[in-house]
Amino acid sequence: MNQTASSDLPDGPGPGSPAPGVVLEIEGLRTEFRTPAGIVRAVDGLSCVVRRGETLCVVGESGCGKSVTALSILRLVPSPPGRIAGGRILFEGRDLLALGEAEMERVRGNAISMIFQEPMTSLNPLQPVGRQIAEAIALHQGLARRDAMAKAVGMLRRVAIPDAERSAAAYPHQLSGGMRQRVMIAMALSCNPKVLIADEPTTALDVTIQAQILELIREQQERLGMAVILITHDMGVVAENADRVVVMYAGRKVEEGGVEDLFERPAHPYTRGLLGSIPHLDDAARAGAGARRARLAEIKGSVPSLARLPPGCSFAPRCALAEARCREAAPPIVRHGPGHRVACWNAGHAAPGAAAA
Amino acid sequence: MSALRDVAAPEARPGPAAAAEALVEVRDLKKHFPVRRGLFGGVAGHVHAVDGVSFRIAPGQTLGLVGESGCGKSTAGRTLLRLLEPTAGEIRFRGEDITRLDAAAMLPYRRRMQMVHQDPYASLNPRMPAGEIVAEPLVIHGVGGGRAERRERVAQLFERVGLRPEQMDAYPHEFSGGQRQRIGIARALALGPELIVCDEPVSALDVSIQAQILNLLMDLQDEYGLSYLFIAHDLAVVEHISQRVAVMYLGRIVELTDRASLFETPLHPYTEALLSAVPIPKATARRRRRVILAGDVPSPISRPAGCHFHTRCLYAHARCRSEAPALREVLPGHLAACHLHDAGVTLPLARPA
Repeated sequence: MNQTASSDLPDGPGPGSPAPGVVLEIEGLRTEFRTPAGIVRAVDGLSCVVRRGETLCVVGESGCGKSVTALSILRLVPSPPGRIAGGRILFEGRDLLALGEAEMERVRGNAISMIFQEPMTSLNPLQPVGRQIAEAIALHQGLARRDAMAKAVGMLRRVAIPDAERSAAAYPHQLSGGMRQRVMIAMALSCNPKVLIADEPTTALDVTIQAQILELIREQQERLGMAVILITHDMGVVAENADRVVVMYAGRKVEEGGVEDLFERPAHPYTRGLLGSIPHLDDAARAGAGARRARLAEIKGSVPSLARLPPGCSFAPRCALAEARCREAAPPIVRHGPGHRVACWNAGHAAPGAAAA
Repeated sequence: MSALRDVAAPEARPGPAAAAEALVEVRDLKKHFPVRRGLFGGVAGHVHAVDGVSFRIAPGQTLGLVGESGCGKSTAGRTLLRLLEPTAGEIRFRGEDITRLDAAAMLPYRRRMQMVHQDPYASLNPRMPAGEIVAEPLVIHGVGGGRAERRERVAQLFERVGLRPEQMDAYPHEFSGGQRQRIGIARALALGPELIVCDEPVSALDVSIQAQILNLLMDLQDEYGLSYLFIAHDLAVVEHISQRVAVMYLGRIVELTDRASLFETPLHPYTEALLSAVPIPKATARRRRRVILAGDVPSPISRPAGCHFHTRCLYAHARCRSEAPALREVLPGHLAACHLHDAGVTLPLARPA
């Protein structure tokens, strides 16, 4: 039912000995939640690797499991009702799911750190932001308070917060949304992580501020050589930031590939549907002033409830290519091209009337 | 001949012909909110949420109103509908001045102007079946005949927006986000309006559902000849649905033109930066030249003197810091409020030598 890890690794030798450059390797991850409607599989057999210095984008709509994947990596899934029910998460060859809580705490915020969509909810409202960063530094690097504070101010300067000394004394509510996200990034980077997980880091921000924050993450990534897992629903953000992309639907990876493959040769009907359904800014210019506005390609229906997934391929009820086989058995994820994988019985077949994508 | 003149007429100073043709027109609309401080609630200042905005919307057309949070775009929409009382300025509907009408005199206009909200969950009464939510405007305005006739009309509306009439007895929580937005649209359509103000109607929805709702809005426009004021922060969505687009920054319109000109030749530095900041979903997009603005939007309580944008503008010069530029027609049908074009249009945008 779940694909085996080895069939899914692009060119990985085997578990235990990480492929060169791989910092994080997720194998058959299953995360479940107990709900009144029964056990729900938020992440169902996800496998992927993250290489040093690259940006892996995980994209999908609400409920696809992208955020739960991020929380699972850091073992932050609220339990109960959540539970990591299976799989392995290998960080530099060590299985994070097998670590004791004390060991895990040394990884979290240190070797792997995370930033969230709404920085206001992840910052302590009662403490000046400088002290919050200094606390993380003191905890993980064993620095004295004064040295930790000096480093915190340095971090604020590095993320381009104006007047860093004074801003360090500010409380979160005194800063704008963009500045709060910079503080979160300063905190996340203060221990030189090897992996930064950014869960919708710019979704709550205005577009000009989003551009600043994504630029900042890219700069720091180059400086530190860290890997970034960028979780987003915005295909534009994916196109401009990803090296590789994982597309998720209803808890499963449905397509994975390099950013060019994914945007120029999308193989899964869901990926094609997503790309066809978003208006492109430059189409307005091409169409000209008087031209009639074109309809967008629609994906019919809505995202299914995880508690009531259809048998077979979860996307089948919305898919224009679906046939009897799709409703009976979930397609395995298979190689579609170099570094390009897709889980679809009809991968690469054009959908009727979806040529525009 | 008059049609030609209309195209060229700037919306800030429309000629009589243009005024007759517009479905709605606002002139120099202002909405200021007092900021109260201290024990006795003394007025310590004003939020200039909307500060002298002029535009018009032709029948059957969509004007997009785009800008970042706090720019005043939603307040402009609500003030236009007189859900908020304007501080100053004029609102005309089919040429009639409705700015100061009292509630009773306003009632017939309310039928003709409706609104679709951003969050379809927060804007629907959770204790009311969907069919009653859609029927409520008919009841309030005493139209649509008896109970049975009303139910028939609501069933038609349900079908028209892509819901099944059997769903009329279900409650809002039983619907998905996209379906709830369809309920909101059906309610707005119930009274057969001429104008619908759509305030971020798709920003709370998943990408695949956004396309369904945008298509529905466009189909309804074609079918009923509706006019939309389409308010959104997402430039790609606004460009897609609008014939003309107004860009707002700190309470003012800084640029107003047709969608193709806005994208091809943005005349205001803020529009240029906004367009360049929008991530484009294409693999080739990462290699394009980008303008990244520094800093945040200033507070609408203490706005910078002169041009409000000068603190973030790449091309600001002395004049921008002291004198606010007026919105004027720089190219035919293309309005911008920027000193760069004082001595004739400057393209590409550049600081004066």
